[in-house]
Amino acid sequence: MIKQNVIANTALNSPIANASFLNPQGKKWKKSLAADLLLTALIDAFSILVIFLLMNFSSNGEILFMKKDMELPKAALGDVLERNPVIKVEDGKVFLEEKMLTAEGLIAELLELRKNFKATHPAGEEMPNTITVQADRRTKYEALNQIVLACAHAGFSDLKFAVIMK
Amino acid sequence: MSQSKKHLDFELNLIPFIDLLSTCICFLLLTAVWLNVGSMNVKQAVGGQPASETPKKPTLWVFLGDKGDMTLETRDAQALPVNMRKLKLGGGTEGKVDLQALAAQLDLMKKSEPELKTALIQPRAQTAYEDIIDLMDQFKKSGMADLGVVPL
Repeated sequence: MIKQNVIANTALNSPIANASFLNPQGKKWKKSLAADLLLTALIDAFSILVIFLLMNFSSNGEILFMKKDMELPKAALGDVLERNPVIKVEDGKVFLEEKMLTAEGLIAELLELRKNFKATHPAGEEMPNTITVQADRRTKYEALNQIVLACAHAGFSDLKFAVIMK
Repeated sequence: MSQSKKHLDFELNLIPFIDLLSTCICFLLLTAVWLNVGSMNVKQAVGGQPASETPKKPTLWVFLGDKGDMTLETRDAQALPVNMRKLKLGGGTEGKVDLQALAAQLDLMKKSEPELKTALIQPRAQTAYEDIIDLMDQFKKSGMADLGVVPL
């Protein structure tokens, strides 16, 4: 009875059994040196990889440049980071867009930034009052305080502290 | 009349598919951003309107101590019971802020004063940046969206 059903025609005559070197059960045993690659499985795996990588793809590009030893603090409810002028604190030194500055120089440079924006953009367009602050998680607040004060002096009211999303 | 035997099934040439997928994978692997960077937004009061013209909103002031302790002081929150307007919270382990105790306290405050949405943090000079961000994150979790940092 088992010989008449589907299993008897499929599973019992498996391709592996037919191709066996020791006891071939196929009609004719031909020794073939060319092995057939299962390309369908390969394409399946590639497609899954492409879909996974596409989901992780970010079209924003790199907004922050970080040294290897810099660790940003972690937060669960952060917002999306946008491209704004970046003030970075690294080893106690302050950088505005990779240019090293003192606390006094920072205010002057921020005002200069605003002036340059007005010169290069049409009249009536206001520069966003947003600055991104990038600092190591172990940085003390006294180092950040000068940035908070400088931004307030230069009229930048919105600070965005860069964090790693949990 | 002889009938031509034409096979209807044909084999797809899979090699161009594999080429395309390999190129896609290489490109996506090279451009992948593994680090998800976000931002914690803080609004600072800069000049502008005189204090008398500014509408008074319930505000929570958080004064951080040296050992993770903090003082919570609520201003312009009339609905809040008097005993909740000024509180002291002890520090957590390793000199960090006790976020669980803070979350519990904020829940109680929000029940009494749902309009409490602004928090101003006054850190110490030696407060770690990470602790300030943790505190802000906790405030956001508790439904306080407007955050500020007070300069020293």
